[in-house]
Formats: sequence, C-alpha cells, structure tokens
Amino acid sequence: MTRTEPPAVSARPKSGRGVAWLVIGAVVIGLLFAIDLLGPGIYPVELPTRAQDGLTLALSVLIESLPFIVLGVLLSIVVQVWVPPGVLERWMPRRAWARRAVLSLLGMVVPVCECGNVPFARGLLMRGFSVPETLTFLIAAPIVNPIVIITTHQAFGFDDGILIARLLGGYAIANLIGWLYSRHPDPDGLLTQRFRDTCDLQHAQGAAVGASGKWRRSVGQFVVELRAVLPALVIGSALAGAVQVLVPRDALLAIGSDPTLSIVAMILLAMVVSICSNVDAFFALSFASTFTPGSLVAFLLVGPLVDVKMLALMRTTFTTRVLVGLTVIVVLSAFAIGTAVNLLA
Amino acid sequence: MPERRSFVNRLLGVGLAAALAVVTLSLVATGRLGLYINPDSTWFAASMAVVVLIGAVLTFVLPLGAEDDHGHDHGAGDAHDNAAGDTHDHGSSAPAAHRRHPLAVAATVGGGVAASVIVLAALVTPPASLSAELAMSRDIDAPPLFAGADAVTLAATGDTTEFGVGEWATVFATSTNPDAYDGDPVTLTGFATPGDGSFDLTRLVITHCVIDAQAASIPISAGEAAPDTGQWVRITGTVNATADGQLSVEADSVERIDEPGDPYEY
Repeated sequence: MTRTEPPAVSARPKSGRGVAWLVIGAVVIGLLFAIDLLGPGIYPVELPTRAQDGLTLALSVLIESLPFIVLGVLLSIVVQVWVPPGVLERWMPRRAWARRAVLSLLGMVVPVCECGNVPFARGLLMRGFSVPETLTFLIAAPIVNPIVIITTHQAFGFDDGILIARLLGGYAIANLIGWLYSRHPDPDGLLTQRFRDTCDLQHAQGAAVGASGKWRRSVGQFVVELRAVLPALVIGSALAGAVQVLVPRDALLAIGSDPTLSIVAMILLAMVVSICSNVDAFFALSFASTFTPGSLVAFLLVGPLVDVKMLALMRTTFTTRVLVGLTVIVVLSAFAIGTAVNLLA
Repeated sequence: MPERRSFVNRLLGVGLAAALAVVTLSLVATGRLGLYINPDSTWFAASMAVVVLIGAVLTFVLPLGAEDDHGHDHGAGDAHDNAAGDTHDHGSSAPAAHRRHPLAVAATVGGGVAASVIVLAALVTPPASLSAELAMSRDIDAPPLFAGADAVTLAATGDTTEFGVGEWATVFATSTNPDAYDGDPVTLTGFATPGDGSFDLTRLVITHCVIDAQAASIPISAGEAAPDTGQWVRITGTVNATADGQLSVEADSVERIDEPGDPYEY
C-alpha cells in the first residue's frame, strides 16, 4: 500500500504569464460570443426543414443537459480531489451486496440527473469504488431520485402501480446488474482502455499536496472529464435528434393496446427519444390513453437507463460488450416487469 | 507530441463545452432560450454556463499537457508501477505500450470531427423553432395531458382566461360536460394545420426541452378560407358545443401574424 510520491509536476507558470494566459482565455471566449452573435448575419445558411428540425432537437438536448453534465463534473472533481480518503468509505457497509444496496440509493442525495451521473460515476471509479458498485449506482440513480419520484407522482399519482413499479423495478434492475457483474472474473476488463489509462494517471498523481496542488488538479480534471463526456454527449444528442425526424412516430404507435407489442413499442420509443428521466413521466402520460400501463412502466424503466444518449455517454467508460449486456438485461427486466404490471393492473 | 494531443483534447472537451455555454448565454441574453428549453430552468442553465466559461478561462493557465503529467509519454516506467500495489488499481498494462485498433482510432477521430461540426453549426446558425411538418408528425391524436386534471378542474370553475391551446386541447378531449364551456370567449395563438373543421389550431407544448415537445390542437370553424398550413394566426372567438357533445372554437376573427417570439407553450 505504499506509494512513492510522483515527482513534482512541472514548474508552475510565473504569475505574470498566468495573467497573460487568463487574458488570452477571456479573449477567446469573447471571440466565441462574437461568432455566435454575428455568425448568422455573415453566413446566412438556410438548412432544409428536416435538417433544421434535427439540429434544433439536438441542440435543445445539449442545452438542457449541459448544466447537469457540468454539475456532474464538479461533483466528480469534489469526490476525487477534495473529499479526503476514507470519508465516504467509512459510511459504506462492508458486505458487497449491502454496499451496492446503499450505493443504489445515492441518487436520492446527489442532485444530478442521468447525464450528470456519468462523470460522477467516473469519479467514484477513480476514487476506488469497484466496477459493479459503480454500475449499480449508475443504473439506479436516474430512477431512484427525488425529482423523478416527484414528477412521476405528479403525472400518474398511484394509478395502476406505475410509480411503485418504476421505483422498485429500477432499484431491482440496478442491484441485479451489480450482482451479475460482481461475478465477472475480471471487472477491470469491463472498462475501456482509455478510461483505465486515465485512472492509472490519477493514481500516479496521488493525493495532491496543498491547496494550490488541489486547485491545479481540479482544473486538470475539468479538462479530462469534459474531454471524455462532451463529444459523446454531442453525438448522443445528434442521434436522438436525427432519429426523431427520421423515424415516423405513428409507426411505433399503431400497436398501443396489445399487451405484449405495446411493451415492445414503448421500449423502442424510450431508447429512441432520449428524454431526461426528470420529465419522461409527463411524456409517457400522453400515451396513457392509448397504451397499456405495463408498457408505460417499461418506457419509464428503459428510457433513463439505456437510451441512445446514455449509451453514447457510457461508452466513454465501459466497453461495448458491457453496454450490450446492460441493454439486454434492462430491456428483458423491463419487459418482465411491464408484463407483470399488465397482468396485475 | 503531447502538446498537440493535449490541444485537441481541450478543443473537444473544454472547447465544445465553452461553445455550448456561449450559445446558452447568448440565448439567455437575447431572451430566446425558450426556443430550446423551458424558461423555468434559465437560472440553472445560465449559472452552469458561467461556471464552464470560468473553468475554460482557468484552463488556459494550465500548460498544455499538464492535465496528464506522468501520463502516456513516460513509457512503462515509474508512475504505473507505483500504483500497482494500490487496492483500486485497474491493473492495466502500461498505456504507452497499448496500441489502439485502427477502427477505434477512426471512430474517435470521426466522432470528434462530427461533434465539432454539430457544435459549430449551433454556433453559426440562427436559433430556430420546430417546423409545422414536425408538429403534425408528432400529433398522435392523443391530447397532451400535461396539465391533466388541473386544467379540467380549472375550466369547470370558469377560470379559462389564461388557457392556451394546450389546456383547451386537454379540456376538449377529456371534458365530461361539454355544455359547461359553450360560449366561453377565447383568444388563442397557434399555427394552422389541416383538420376536421375549417382547420386545426396547433401549438407545440413543452415540459422541459424541445425534444419532449408534443402537438396540441383544437378544431376551428371559421367563415373564411383556411390559412395555409404552418401559417401563424391569432383566433378570437367562442367555444361551441355541438349537439353530439363535440367541442370546437367558432372563430369571429382569424388574424394572420408572424411567428411569435415564444412559439411554444410550457
């Protein structure tokens, strides 16, 4: 457990140079503002209607999720750099299943929605939480979360057991996935090489000494996390926007009242539309008149966990095999729970 | 070339985030954020955008490559061995020795370029609202029930002055007592889409952001010719209950207007 201190990081810039770089940074940001405000006037581009709609949709997802991503990155930095070693760990039970059970409730106190969870989960991994534990958190938090509970209750009340099925279902799926992957012989093999490199780097840097070292690491981590998450977020949002303008919605909706097909349709819809778990209950509500309750539950379970945007985000950290496994488990579980609700309701 | 790689990494991370933050703040400053997300979350979006910009300026002080000091370019040496005894080491081989699959490299490059192009498009194109075509393809003949029971309760108590197309569509679809609304005066704004009466008055209703937009529409009967599909109109008229219990709006005037600054209802 001994760790020799890494050699000191390269000499800090002299304060004069630091100020100069700050000014340059501010100028670059100013230029971005100028491009944004003047750009449309200089190059008036008229996009075809569909392309424009796709861009509008993609951009709306981006603008809406960026604040949550930033919050997630900030929390991730706090967890990695500022919370002293042992503080979080002391609160955790020792048994693996109990740790996962507690971690799947962490979403109740960490105010990030599904997109922000990804950088936060990366922070947990780098801090030393195991892969199955982190997966459990990542899957549970978008559903077992106060905002989601409130909005789902606003939308459905306790009708047809939709709220209960969603909460218990999300909790159960998360712990099922945590348990399954805890049996994996090589949990680290579940992570992408790029993420493992980042981890090694973090450990090599070790606990930074002193406040200025911590600030420095925080800024470095800001760079690293945004690099990991943002391209995935942009591409995930673009896919979500493109799919919305390309896949005709009525094709999915023609099958609403069939107990089995309706579940399949709503699962597909959930994976395609990529709506934040905070508000997807309202979206689902508008289908309540034509779709079975079980299919709505399946929609509310699948959407937050494995929609196209989340898959793109999770791909930054987990291998494709893991994502395929996750998707299969989530979809099958949601299908089973949805069917059960349809039989009981 | 660690500096060049670090530069690209920053462009794709902090750079894209900063560009999006700039787009967000410009929309807030020009009062057009409502074109993309519910204005209720303006303060959150704006404050986090400011955090991004402050962070982005701070990263300029960090020398290129400093975020991954002791990283890949030190070979299989010291740093990684140091971590080897740690409990939470992710136990990989030394990164420098790792060769990425050409397809993976292509995917990374392609993804980076695609993401940059999209963000650049966001930066240089003017903000836009969704088209009437999309609104029609979204119209699934099920009323958006956002307001749910509230709207119907409110309508029953007679307070319909604040109602938009979304609330009226809910009332029209769910009311059990249509006669109660017969004769209610309405002034509504929306765009025209083909419908059963003269035309439908349609508006997109948003809960959180444009991606959850759903079309709400109500049938309008007007004496004059229907406006073109997609034409924005302001309707003044009264609610009319037919003998078979269907509600529609009898338009006294149909005024053609430009698209309003707030094209959505929330």
